Amino acid sequence: MQYIKVEDLAFHYEDEPVLENICFQVNSGDFAMLTGENGAAKTTLLRNILGLLKPTKGSVTLSKKNKEGEKLVVGYIPQQVASFNAGFPSTVLELVNSGRFPRGKWFKKLNADDKEHVKKALESVGMWDARHKKIGELSGGQKQRISIARVFAMDPDLFILDEPTTGMDVDSREEFYKLLQHASEFHNKGILMVTHDHEEIRHYANKHIELIRKEGSPWRCFSTDSCKERSKHPSSFH
Amino acid sequence: MFFYGFMQRAFQASILISLIAPVLGLFLILRRQSLMADTLSHVSLAGVALGLLLGYDPTWINILVIVIAAISLEYLRKVYRTYSEISIAILMSGGMAVALVLMGLNDSGGTVSIQQFLFGSIVTISNQQVWMLLILTSIILILYGIFRKPMYTLTFDEETAYTAGLPIQFMSLLFNILTGITIALIMPIVGALLVSAILIMPAAISIRLSKRFNGVIVIGIGVALTGMILGLLASYYIGTPPGASITLIYIAIFSLISVFK
Repeated sequence: MQYIKVEDLAFHYEDEPVLENICFQVNSGDFAMLTGENGAAKTTLLRNILGLLKPTKGSVTLSKKNKEGEKLVVGYIPQQVASFNAGFPSTVLELVNSGRFPRGKWFKKLNADDKEHVKKALESVGMWDARHKKIGELSGGQKQRISIARVFAMDPDLFILDEPTTGMDVDSREEFYKLLQHASEFHNKGILMVTHDHEEIRHYANKHIELIRKEGSPWRCFSTDSCKERSKHPSSFH
Repeated sequence: MFFYGFMQRAFQASILISLIAPVLGLFLILRRQSLMADTLSHVSLAGVALGLLLGYDPTWINILVIVIAAISLEYLRKVYRTYSEISIAILMSGGMAVALVLMGLNDSGGTVSIQQFLFGSIVTISNQQVWMLLILTSIILILYGIFRKPMYTLTFDEETAYTAGLPIQFMSLLFNILTGITIALIMPIVGALLVSAILIMPAAISIRLSKRFNGVIVIGIGVALTGMILGLLASYYIGTPPGASITLIYIAIFSLISVFK
């Protein structure tokens, strides 16, 4: 099932074009990595997809329903997650519990199943023992882990992740990629992840969307599968 | 002391303010809107001045003016997203300027009343104000009970809240309006110049004492009750302005905690 469809998207910051001819899709079961050089407007593209920015041209369709016909739940990890408000008065457990709220728990108590999801999520990133710590006391890497745990606890249909492994060591990164691969392969989750580690991830991901450009032009999209008629390899740019 | 009706009303109002100040204060601090309370209190002076000029009950005119200001503040926060403090500067100075102009136009000796609103007075609390405060406290506590989880998520990160499907604009607007109405109602008691301290200080103190979100609110209520009651007693026995007395007690508690923690 198609979760994200981006068609001929262009985005301008004021009058300056930064994205052009962007065209790809992410389906349930896809593990798509979005790559590009520094400044390639990858985060801008994600923010367009999430509705935080409005495309100048073209369209983004984010599915309203998941493959079971229920409301699509999106788990988003923003890029600057490790710099979140250090004084926020919350324990690790409270924060990761909040990942369950979009699962119909805004106005209901968390039940045993929710708590089990939270426990598994915290264990998967090695933070269960730190669950009673105040989040402001954690290191940057630990903050990154609990942000990941929060999204895993949410059990979203679609993961949108903006460089989620910043500050993590190689072993932790590999473990994280395996978890994502498992989620896409065995649970049909859709994943769109911005990354600089495409050499590491290519063993796990099954789709590659790359933002590329010729000097002085806006960033364009080259996707390994979708919209081939519109997305052209850099060699064919004029 | 409790034989006096005005003191009974002052204590009733203080207990009600102590219940809502930590809730609003915590969200104001976490949303980096601590100065919003100060801004709205300046604007509320314009509301009072307008009420006195027109000869109507300043409380109702003030609530109307402050709700408009709270909505404008949210709009300006969106327009100047990167420099959101600009919206504070515009409304704070604008509110004060309008208040001064309206006071200048009012030649019926309204200066004394304005001074009451600037510095606060426990003598002026009416039964109507206590009832209004009781209704407002009930509304805020009920809304907090219902929307605690969405507000936690919104306060932690607005973009994550948006992607989780929360109506963040509506929630922000409703929060601003409730904060504005609260300021309009408690300003005559504690004074426009110190109303933000009354809202912010209990949460600012309790945030250092608890690592849990709900814990901050519960401890904040305790801190607020202590500060408000001791401040009122000081005001009654020494004759100091209530807002200033309460603020100084909060600062003393804050200093003690900073030394020992």
